[in-house]
Amino acid sequence: MRPGGALDVVQLAAGVVLAGAVLALWRKDLRALISVLSLQGAALATLAGVLAAHDGDVGLGVVAGVVLVAKGLVIPGLLARVVRADPGSRETAPLVNVPASLVTAAVLVVLSYLVAGRLTALFPDPLTRLAPLGLATVLVGFFVLVTRRKAVSQIVGLLLIDNGLALTAFLLTAGVPLLVELGASLDVLLVVVVLQVLATTMRARFGHVDLDQLRELHD
Amino acid sequence: MLLTVILAVPLAAGLLGAAISWRRAVGWAMVAANAAVLGLGIALGIETDHRHVAGGLDGALRADALSAFMVVVIGAISLLASIQSIRYLEAEIARGEHSTRHASLYSLLVQVFVTCMLAAVLAANLGALWVAVEATTIATTFLVGHRRSDKALEASWKYVLICSVGIALAFLGTVLVYFAALHVPGHPSGASVLDWTSLVHASHHLDPAVVRLGMALLVLGYGTKVGLAPMHSWLPDAHSQAPAPVSALMSGVLLTVAFYALLRFKAVADGALGPGYSRTLLVIVGLASLLVAASLLLTQRDVKRMLAYHSIEHMGLIALGAAAGTTLAIAAVLLHILGHGLAKAVLFLASGEILLVEGTSEIDKIPSLLARRPLLGGIFGFGLVALLGLPPFSLFVSELNMIRGELAVGLGWAAGLSLLAMAVIFAAVMAHGRHLLLGGRGATPSATSRLVGVPLVGGLVACVFFGLSAWPLQSLLDAAARVVVR
Amino acid sequence: MTGALATLGAASPSLWARIGTSVLQVVAVVVGGPLLLGLMAKIRARAEGRMGPPITQGLSDLRKLVRKEAIRAEHTSAVAALAPLVLVASAAVAAAVTPLLTTRPVVAGGADVFVVVYLLLMGSVALALGGLDAGTAFGGMGASRAMTIGAISEPALLVGILALAVQARTSNLPGIVAASLAHPGWLASPQRLLALVALVVVVIAETGRIPVDNPSTHLELTMIHEAMVLEQAGPDLALVTLGESMRLALLLGLLANLFFPWGVDASGSGLVLLAALAVLAAKTAALAGMIALVEVSTAKLRLFRVPELLAGGFVLAVVAVTTGLVTR
Repeated sequence: MRPGGALDVVQLAAGVVLAGAVLALWRKDLRALISVLSLQGAALATLAGVLAAHDGDVGLGVVAGVVLVAKGLVIPGLLARVVRADPGSRETAPLVNVPASLVTAAVLVVLSYLVAGRLTALFPDPLTRLAPLGLATVLVGFFVLVTRRKAVSQIVGLLLIDNGLALTAFLLTAGVPLLVELGASLDVLLVVVVLQVLATTMRARFGHVDLDQLRELHD
Repeated sequence: MLLTVILAVPLAAGLLGAAISWRRAVGWAMVAANAAVLGLGIALGIETDHRHVAGGLDGALRADALSAFMVVVIGAISLLASIQSIRYLEAEIARGEHSTRHASLYSLLVQVFVTCMLAAVLAANLGALWVAVEATTIATTFLVGHRRSDKALEASWKYVLICSVGIALAFLGTVLVYFAALHVPGHPSGASVLDWTSLVHASHHLDPAVVRLGMALLVLGYGTKVGLAPMHSWLPDAHSQAPAPVSALMSGVLLTVAFYALLRFKAVADGALGPGYSRTLLVIVGLASLLVAASLLLTQRDVKRMLAYHSIEHMGLIALGAAAGTTLAIAAVLLHILGHGLAKAVLFLASGEILLVEGTSEIDKIPSLLARRPLLGGIFGFGLVALLGLPPFSLFVSELNMIRGELAVGLGWAAGLSLLAMAVIFAAVMAHGRHLLLGGRGATPSATSRLVGVPLVGGLVACVFFGLSAWPLQSLLDAAARVVVR
Repeated sequence: MTGALATLGAASPSLWARIGTSVLQVVAVVVGGPLLLGLMAKIRARAEGRMGPPITQGLSDLRKLVRKEAIRAEHTSAVAALAPLVLVASAAVAAAVTPLLTTRPVVAGGADVFVVVYLLLMGSVALALGGLDAGTAFGGMGASRAMTIGAISEPALLVGILALAVQARTSNLPGIVAASLAHPGWLASPQRLLALVALVVVVIAETGRIPVDNPSTHLELTMIHEAMVLEQAGPDLALVTLGESMRLALLLGLLANLFFPWGVDASGSGLVLLAALAVLAAKTAALAGMIALVEVSTAKLRLFRVPELLAGGFVLAVVAVTTGLVTR
C-alpha cells in the first residue's frame, strides 16, 4: 500500500485499537470498558473495509461487515447486558494498581515493538510496520486478563487479545482466508455468549461475579 | 464422500438426540453412530495406508494415514463414552438432578463435540483445523458445567477462559505461518496457502525468523489445549468437574487432537528450521509437564483430579516423544495416544461409576473397593496398571519406543529425567491405588452393572491386545508417522 | 528535516533580528503568563456566575508584591534566595529558544526537546528545594507532592514531544514546528492525536491546574503548589508567581505551536512578527479558556489518584512514540 489517504486511515484505525487497549487499563468503570470495545470493533471494521476497497477484495469486505456487526455491536451488547444486571459495578481491586499497570503497559508496548522488529525488517511494507500495534494490544489484553478480578473485565481482556489478533492478521496478511476468518469471528462470538451465560449463572448463584471469591478448586 | 459421512453420522445422531426427548433408544442411537465412526475410521485407515489420500467436501476435507488413525482413536473412545453416557443420564434423571431436556442438550453437545474433533483431524486447511479446535472448547464448556454445582461453574469459567486465550495464541501463530507462506516466491496465493499439502511443500522456503516466532506461539497455544505446563491449570479442574463420559472424551481424545495440530505444525516448522528448534520447545514443555504432574500427584485427594494430573504426565511423555521426532518415535507417540486414550477413558468411566455407587470421588472415603465391588475395583486396578506403563499393556511398548527414539537423537538426559518423574508418579499412584483398592477383607461383594463392565473390560482388552501384537496397527502407524516425518 | 528548515529560512534574518525576536518571545511570555492566569480566573468566574477579578489582576498583584519588604523565614539558606531566581531564569531561557513566534529563534540549534524539558525541570527542582529550605512541614509536604507528580509528568512531557520528534525526524523543537508547517496532513496522524491527549494531561499537571492541583486552595489536605510557596513573601513570592505563570504561558504556547503550527513565522522579521504574536495570543488564550472550562466542570482528583491520570498520560505518550516509529 502506498502512502496516501487509505494508508492514513489504516494507521489511524490501528492507533485507535491500541489506544483503546490502554484506555481499558486506565478506566475502572465497566461500562467504559464496553464502549472501548465497540470503538475498537468499529476501528477494526473500518480498517478491513479500507483494505478491501483498496485491494478490491470482496471477501475482505464481507469480513469487514461481519467484524462491524460482531465486534462493534453484538459483543458489546452482550456484555452490556451482564453489566446492566449489576449497575454501578467497577473493577474495585485489580491485582496490580492502575499506575503500575499503566507503566507495565508502556513496557509491553516497547517490548512488542522490539519483538515485531524482526517481522518488519524482513518485509518492510507500510502495513507490516504497523504490526507491533496489534501485538501490543494482545499483550495489554493479557495483562488485563491476568490482573483483573471481575468477570466482565476478564472477558474484556480476552476480547482485547482477540482484537489485537484481528488487527495483526489484517496488517500482516490482509486477513486470513475467508472461511477461517468467518469461523474465527463466529467462535469468538460464541465464546462471549458462553461466558455471558456463565457470568449470569454465577451472579444468580453467588450474588456476585468476583472471581477472587471463587477459590474452591485449588491444589 | 467417506469423509463427509464420517462427519455427518455423529452430528445426525446428536440432532436426533436434541429433537426427540431422552429415552434409552436415543442413547443407543449415539452408541451406534459412534460405532459407525469407528468402523468408518478403520475403513479409512485401510484406504489411506500406503500414502493414499482421501478427500471430500470440495477439497475442504482431506485424510491421510495420520488423520485416519486419529479418526479411529476418536471413534473408539467416543464409543466407550457414549455407552457410559446412557448410564450417567439415567442415573441423574432417576435422582431428579436432571430433566430429560438437560439430557437432550447433553446428547447434542457431546455429539457436536465429537464432530468438531473429527472435523479438526479431517480438515485440509490448518486454519480450519484451528476453527474446529476452538469450537471444541465452546461445545465442551456447558458439558463441563453440566452438573451445575458451584465447583463445576468455576471449573467451566476457568476452562473456557484459559483455553480461549491459549487458542488465541495458536491463532497468532497460524497467522504468522500464513504470513511467512504468503511471502514465499512462487507459492500459490489465496485460500489454499494454509492447506497442509501446499504448506508442507513450501516449508523449506518459509522465512525462519517468522516461523520461529510462530512455532513458539503454536506450542504455547495448542499446548494449552493439550494440557502441557505452564498452561495446564484448567485441566485438573475441568476434568474433575465434568461428567465422567465427558472427562473420558476430553482426557482421552481432546488433548491428543490438540496435539495432532502440533504434530502437523511441527512438520512445517521442521521444514523451515530443521528439527532442533521445535525439539527444544517440546522438550521444555514436556519436562515441565512431567515435573508438575510428579509434584502434584502425591497430594491429590480426589480420584478424578488424580487422573487429570496423570493426563498431564502422559501429555508430557508424548511431547518428549514428538521432540525426538524419528519415525519410530512418532509411531510410538501415536500408539501412546491410542493406549492412553483407551486406558484413561476406562479409568474416568470407572471413576464415574464409583461416584455413582459410592456417592463420592474422594480417595479417603472409598476404601477397599476390590473386596466390596470386585469387577469395578478390578477394572480400576488394571486401568491404573495400564496407565503406569506396565506390560502387557500397549503403553509399555509405546513408552519404551519413545525412549528409544529419544536416546537415538541424543535426548538421553531428557529420557532419564522423564523416567525419574515416572518413578515418583508410580510411587504416588501406587499409594493412592493401594488405599483405594486393597484391604477390607470379608466385606460382602456386590455386583457391577453389565452396561459398565462390558465396555470397560473391552477397552482394557484392546489395550492389552495392542501391547502384545503389532498387527493390525503397525503399517498404519508407520504410514501416519511418515506423514509428519520428512 | 534540515532541508525543510533551509527552504523555509531562505531569506535568513540577521543575527540581531533573531536576538530581537527571542527577546520579544521572553517579553511575551513574561507579560502573557499573568494575563493568561487572569483570563482563566475570569472565565471560571463567569462560568460560575461571578464577575471575577479583572484580567490584569495578575500583573497588579506582581506590582504589589515587588513593592513589599523582602523578608525570609528564619534559618533559611542561600537556596531560598536563589530558588525564585533560578525558576524565572530557566523559564526565560526556555522562552527565548522555544519556537513561539518564529521557527528561527536565536540559538535555534540548541533548542532541543531535551534542553527545553530539562530547563523546565530545573525550575521545578529549584522551586521544590526552595520549599524545603525553610524546614517547615507545609513546605516539605508540598515539595514532596510536587516531586511525586513531576516524577511522572516530566518523563511524559519528554516522551510526548518525542513522538512528534520521531515523526519530524529531528528532536529540535523549531525543526519539529517547521516540519509540521510543511506537512499539514500530519495533524490527523494517530501518534499526534495520542501525543496531544498525553501532553494536555501533562500540561495540566505541570501547571498545577484542576484536576491535578487546585491553584486557589489553601486546604492542607489537598494543596500542592501553594504549600510549597507558603513561606515565601514579597519580591521572592513575586518571582515565584511570575516564574510559574511564565511556565504556563510557555507550555501552552509550545503545545499550541507543536500541534497547531499555523501562524508561526518562518522568516522572523517586522510586522509579520506582530501578526505571529497576535495569532499566538489567540491560540494560547483559546487553550487557556478550554482548560478553565474543564476546571469548572471537573472535581479535583484525590491525591492518590493523580499518579493514575499521569501514568495514563505517560503510556499514551509511549504508545504515541511507538506508533510514530511504526508509521514512519
